[in-house]
Amino acid sequence: MLNDDELLRYSRHLLLEDVGETGQQALKNAKVLIIGMGGLGSPASLYLAAAGVGHIVLNDFDHIEVSNLQRQISYQSDDIGEAKVEVAKRKLQQINPEIKVRSINKAMPEMQLTMELTMADLVLDCTDNMASRQLINKACVDAKVPLIVGAAIRFEGQLMFFDHSETDSPCYHCLFPSSEEQTLNCSNSGIIGPVVGTIGTLQALEAIKYFVGLPSGIKNKLKLFDGKSLDWQTFTINKDPKCTVCGQH
Amino acid sequence: MKIHVNEQVLELAENTNIEQLLVHLDKPLIGSAVAVNQDIISRSHWADTILNEGDNISLFQAIAGG
Repeated sequence: MLNDDELLRYSRHLLLEDVGETGQQALKNAKVLIIGMGGLGSPASLYLAAAGVGHIVLNDFDHIEVSNLQRQISYQSDDIGEAKVEVAKRKLQQINPEIKVRSINKAMPEMQLTMELTMADLVLDCTDNMASRQLINKACVDAKVPLIVGAAIRFEGQLMFFDHSETDSPCYHCLFPSSEEQTLNCSNSGIIGPVVGTIGTLQALEAIKYFVGLPSGIKNKLKLFDGKSLDWQTFTINKDPKCTVCGQH
Repeated sequence: MKIHVNEQVLELAENTNIEQLLVHLDKPLIGSAVAVNQDIISRSHWADTILNEGDNISLFQAIAGG
């Protein structure tokens, strides 16, 4: 049951047949773990808090630097030096006091990640390195928790959704089996704010759709975004039967 | 035979597989992904996937940034 404040706050959701009170209640009951609170995690978490996702867990070990401010829109100048997850948590609670936000201010070891996944309905991979992505993928496959992956650099973005609660789901490792770090990263290659913002925003959109019961148009697909042409390319990701992570699942 | 690689036409010998194509184009085998006609082919199948006349190949790299 939604209270009066919620009926007002989420009125623009309630007007949508695809959401309604049932969908809003589903968002209220939802538990989302967002790993990475930089360019992707900022918009993703802002939109999910605004939408009324009832339990949001934010994980990052980083502190805010001035070069983050060009795109990590959860933060402002006087936050420099503070822990990202603490600032973000405050901001999300200010946007929406109705929800619960918890912060994990460290690089989670595998065991802690596994434990967190027992309390999550969905994970958003908003990290910035391949090692983390592989770790998160494996943990989500093992725990059977759906995973929405975003990535961006320069003017390009990538977006994927894997529903690991389904048997025969492919995984991130099927697509990118190497744990070797990409030589291109944001600090040596650059990135445009709205490009990473677009991908993070779409991670939030996919998460909302997941909870309200709308089918994902991108499940097991790789969406490539070109921020110069605004073109999207769509590719089908097939499960690799020899995948060392999900091959046996 | 003619194929398209990232929308550019390429002339290629018959019976070329994906792995051979990447080597021919001097693309890194690590961190690359390959789609044939919008279908991503897993790394483990690159050596046994033969390309055909008219195939649209998309090559891209893993992006890890965020």
